[in-house]
Amino acid sequence: MLSVEGLTVRADATDLVHDVSFAIAPGERVGLIGESGSGKSLTALSLMGLLPEGVTAAGRARLGERDLVGVPESRIKGLRGDELSMVFQEPMTALNPLMRIGAQVTEVMTLHGRSRQEARARSAELLERVRLPEPAQIARAYPHQLSGGQRQRVMLAIALANEPRLLICDEPTTALDVTVQKQMLELIAEVAPALLFITHDLAVVASVCERVLVMYGGRVVESGPIREVFTRPRHRYTQGLLAASKLTPRGTRLPVIEGGVPAAGRFPGGCVFRNRCPHATPECETPPALTGDGHAFACWHPAD
Amino acid sequence: MPSHAGTQPTDALITAERLNRVYHRPRTSLTRPGAAVHALRDVSLTVRRGERHGIVGESGSGKSTLLRLLCALDQPTSGSIRFDGQEITGRPERRLRFLRENLQIVFQDPMSSLDPRMRVRDLVAEPLTALGLPVGDRVAELLDAVGLPAEAAGRYPHQFSGGQRQRIAIARALAPRPKVLVADEPVSALDVSVRGQILNLLADLVDELGLTLVFVSHDLSVVRHVCETVSVMRQGEIVEGGLVDDVWAEPAHPYTRELLAAVPTLEGFA
Repeated sequence: MLSVEGLTVRADATDLVHDVSFAIAPGERVGLIGESGSGKSLTALSLMGLLPEGVTAAGRARLGERDLVGVPESRIKGLRGDELSMVFQEPMTALNPLMRIGAQVTEVMTLHGRSRQEARARSAELLERVRLPEPAQIARAYPHQLSGGQRQRVMLAIALANEPRLLICDEPTTALDVTVQKQMLELIAEVAPALLFITHDLAVVASVCERVLVMYGGRVVESGPIREVFTRPRHRYTQGLLAASKLTPRGTRLPVIEGGVPAAGRFPGGCVFRNRCPHATPECETPPALTGDGHAFACWHPAD
Repeated sequence: MPSHAGTQPTDALITAERLNRVYHRPRTSLTRPGAAVHALRDVSLTVRRGERHGIVGESGSGKSTLLRLLCALDQPTSGSIRFDGQEITGRPERRLRFLRENLQIVFQDPMSSLDPRMRVRDLVAEPLTALGLPVGDRVAELLDAVGLPAEAAGRYPHQFSGGQRQRIAIARALAPRPKVLVADEPVSALDVSVRGQILNLLADLVDELGLTLVFVSHDLSVVRHVCETVSVMRQGEIVEGGLVDDVWAEPAHPYTRELLAAVPTLEGFA
């Protein structure tokens, strides 16, 4: 349903996302994981046509029969919030502080051609669907009167309003407490028609998604079914990330990946991970291709 | 509720007794005062010399309020805090020198806790100059201890990555040779691949320097890796306390159980 081929996002002469390809089938939940600067958010923003000024996307991305990349804003505008929608990390900045919740939920529907009356009726249903208590009361409230978890549920209601074919969530629970996060993750998994879920937290992605793409330095370095990738990582970065995510008992050394994530444009040529990789050899100066059926990885010296 | 039984008063370094902190919301009516918010209710806590104590809670649990009181950055509404036998509540700043020398803090976000216009050399030396202590070779010594190259001294915070900035913040905190290091969510803003480096560094320094550590986190699994003892906070109260391993294995309070169940894990993925 969503197919992305050779997506490249560029600012000036720097590739921030390089040759990313993946597909999402209806009903599928796909995780996109990576650390800060890996290009995961830019990948999502380019699908939404929301790249910042001076940043351009090339390549091909289609949602059904509709092109998402390289088409004019006027065409994307009709799709955004309708066929595909997105939930952002910070619900306080994504909601309009001067508008009541109900009006913000109806707005996205009237903008895409529904009658005001129909939109209003549906907005009450939507607030109930995201399990907000007392939906009628919430509809009359302003964003500052809600808790962080409630605001994020409102964002989800807005995203689902026009029954999109694809829902993109960018770190939707990072700003939430863990007990609230758990409910929110369960809700997202339940209501998403098809999901692209962006996070830096491997445990979160494991609880929501079936398939995962691991990004580093603007490239997909490994992809496959979550169970396979997380139990038998092949790329050395994925392996290091998984090891670093598990907290060992007190008094033991935590496994680490040496060094830090380079700034955009400072990743080495060839394999982007080679300057931090304990297994790097001169061979790694040639960029490895992402190969493999189902479980794919781009590494010259994969783990067993 | 005392955090753990069997604590001997002699080796207690920080003793907090029945701390309360009440904030007042701004008034919304001319005739009535603003609503009172009980940020802390009767919190008692003992941290022994050399102990690594974790404070766990979600937003609004009171963990930051407790931390501010322990560091004398705020005053309790009632209750007492003794540091190494001396009462610290109700003292003016000029009589808190012993505390400032002996207790230092590492904050969550090194980008906002380090002055962007100061060079690393001056940032690390600042706690010394502020206390009128000699600087000498201390900066080079500290940078080496936290694993930064000596030439880092001449650079500015923005020239470093998040993990390196947190190393600078740790070097700065250790400058006056404190007995106690208070770390407020020190790894929450860091990438996973860097988190381990900072946690390993903290553990090494606490060992080598014989520090007492108060470690605040929303994540019980991080606390379990770092600390021996823990206090679990909720709505201004310590609902459960004791050895981390006991609390982890057999949480007694329903809230602790809920907290443990809510943390997503990679268990099941060998």
